[in-house]
Amino acid sequence: MKQTLMGNDAIAWGLVHANVDMVSGYPGTPSSEILGVVQKIKHQLNLDIYAEWGTNEKVGFEVAYAGAIAGKRTCATMKQVGLNVASDALMSASYIGNLGAMLLISADDPGFHSSQTEQDSRVFAKFARIPVLDPATPQDAYDLTKYGVELSEKLQIPVMLRPVMRVCHAREIIEMDRETNFSPNKGKFERNVARWGAVPRDGRFAQGVEQLNRIEVIKEYNWDTLLKSEFDKCMGKDTLIITSGTGYGFVKETLNDLNLEADVVKVLMPYPLPVTQIHKRFKAYSKVLVIEEPYPCIEEQIACDKVYGKNTDTVHKIDEMSKEAILNALSNINLYDGENIYKTPPSLNFDVEARPPALCPGCPHRDVYYAITKVFKKKKAIYPSDIGCYTLAIAQGAIDTILCMGASVSMASGFSLSDPDKTTVATIGDGTFFHSGIPPLLNAIYQGHKFILVILDNSTIAMTGRQTTPSRSNRNIDIKKIVEGMGIDCIEHHYSHEMQDNIDFFKKVKEVHKSATGPTVVVVREFCILDRERAVDYVPGIFAQVDADKCVACDQCTTVYKCPPMAYNDDGKIEIDPFLCAGCGGCLDVVCPTDAFIQDFDYLKRGK
Amino acid sequence: MKYQIVIAGFGGQGVVFLVKVLAICAGNRDIAFLGTENHGMSQRGGSVSCDIKIGDFTNPVIDKNQADLMIALEQNEGLRNVSYLKLDGTLVTNAKDKDDYPKLPFKGFAKIDAFKKAEAGEFPIQGLNVYMLGIALATDKNFPFSVKEVKDAITQMNAKVAKQNIEILDHAMRDIKEL
Repeated sequence: MKQTLMGNDAIAWGLVHANVDMVSGYPGTPSSEILGVVQKIKHQLNLDIYAEWGTNEKVGFEVAYAGAIAGKRTCATMKQVGLNVASDALMSASYIGNLGAMLLISADDPGFHSSQTEQDSRVFAKFARIPVLDPATPQDAYDLTKYGVELSEKLQIPVMLRPVMRVCHAREIIEMDRETNFSPNKGKFERNVARWGAVPRDGRFAQGVEQLNRIEVIKEYNWDTLLKSEFDKCMGKDTLIITSGTGYGFVKETLNDLNLEADVVKVLMPYPLPVTQIHKRFKAYSKVLVIEEPYPCIEEQIACDKVYGKNTDTVHKIDEMSKEAILNALSNINLYDGENIYKTPPSLNFDVEARPPALCPGCPHRDVYYAITKVFKKKKAIYPSDIGCYTLAIAQGAIDTILCMGASVSMASGFSLSDPDKTTVATIGDGTFFHSGIPPLLNAIYQGHKFILVILDNSTIAMTGRQTTPSRSNRNIDIKKIVEGMGIDCIEHHYSHEMQDNIDFFKKVKEVHKSATGPTVVVVREFCILDRERAVDYVPGIFAQVDADKCVACDQCTTVYKCPPMAYNDDGKIEIDPFLCAGCGGCLDVVCPTDAFIQDFDYLKRGK
Repeated sequence: MKYQIVIAGFGGQGVVFLVKVLAICAGNRDIAFLGTENHGMSQRGGSVSCDIKIGDFTNPVIDKNQADLMIALEQNEGLRNVSYLKLDGTLVTNAKDKDDYPKLPFKGFAKIDAFKKAEAGEFPIQGLNVYMLGIALATDKNFPFSVKEVKDAITQMNAKVAKQNIEILDHAMRDIKEL
């Protein structure tokens, strides 16, 4: 059956068609839609599937992995940096293995579109010694999802699927199973302490030996079932290009565009590679070029003096794949000596003002950060923050450091110890606090580290598409009670669209903090403006306009408050873009030193 | 057939909606389609550009100097991405009715102040994406799908708002004839 699907939709359907009935994970671009689509299919077809977000990637992995030990077919989804969090579990799971199947999906983001690193999950699979599959398109993603689940059950080891953003968020007409005959494995835990509870040294040593043997078996399997036929198809050209994932699509098109000929081998399983068999096939070629992204995973396994790639400075080492990058690589190995057809006249390079992502109009984070910087002045404060929408407050000058999920809290400890003359004000969202903010807060409390922690609670994982947080599903776990359970107070504030209320609140926090001997923890109850369920109850519908006579073009609103509808017009006065104003009323108070923002009572009459 | 389209705009303008409509058009005619979208961080009001490749392609990204058509939902987002368009391609852009728009060398060109029209209440701002699609349909003689095919796809996408969207599409095609 033909279907137009995005890569992540295709993966979700692949899971259902492979009879996976436990999916657990943590949202992160570009992986987020996979689990959500499984939930949709579950409701659409009324299937008995567990498809729920874990509190973090490690939890998500472990839930799915236990299911696979009990014989079910399971899946954990995450983005590449999420795999760092789950890696502790992965490293051991690769020794122990599973009875059912476990597909680990780790989505990479070459080009840093939405990620703090460009790391390659294939290299992580190699580190963990598990097989990894690298789809080139949504069709591949569907096929390899099903294949990976089968393979995991056959080999009794977790298998990784590594799609990149240009697969997850690519859209294509794909061919998929017409019928959904959903028949999952029944879970039945079989006690086997020697395997599931293997301890050092003897138990794990024996599993380590098995792991090494297993990798050799998978190499042969990779050759016999996937790679040999690819090499057999080669036409005896002078140059061989070995590629995997999106690299394949870019190579094919570039060769076609440039009218060049080379043998192209598409690697579906970039680790483990049967190096001996591959090297035997090199004899026929003068040069072997490896095209892959983002790290040299294949290249390092098959390196020899004929192999050219990132480590020989032949292929780009950072940033996303492009046909221009392939063209340059083909020039570097002297296969191409023509012009760069992927270039337009320099006259078409317009220097247009950047439009970086920003906090949405009406987002309460903006007002809260504004209030924080008003009360805790920059010169005397350090602002560690965390991963989420609120990271965008960096544009307001309200954030000094970003490291990884949960680090705002532990770094606040570190800064408060190393530079105690300043006030450290850390910010973290509710999703990130649940994910990995709790252990560092425990640490700060029992060590007595003196800083302020502001938990911005909008009760959703907003950046990745508003997935549910533990505060909102089933039991409504309350952050305030968690903090109180650790033995300290949690000062609560409900975000107000009247800025002075927020400022007054933080002044109070400042006072409390003066005499504190440990962390001062604050939870600000907010909402996400995109959250259709809750925003309607909170947005006051006070739309703004500018009193041009009062505007003195002081830049306060465009540099410190930074709400997207505010921009200068041709007369050099600030104007509110009526299409963008969300009606939060946040700018009417305090923000403008000359009070130029006034309510626009006619707003609704102007054709919104 | 091989046809490459870049759609440029900013987060919230409904760029991805247009990708889906064109994907459905291709699916209905059983032509291969490969496109790529922006999700996540890039959605928060920032620059968004989506690529659509119709026909026999193997990767979803459009390189510079390759696109046959660019639909720009906002003036600067169009100029930012203009190097992806071939010189004999067509640029369709929403841009202010002012004289300072640069002179561009493309074979096909249409410019219209869609923000002004939305502000005047000619169509709701949420329909600006469909409005610009209509401008493209009427301007680009090589546009790979017919008006009927596009209308059918819009109906398949969301039957509830199809009537309004089709009216906007027709409105745009009338407007461009009057220009």
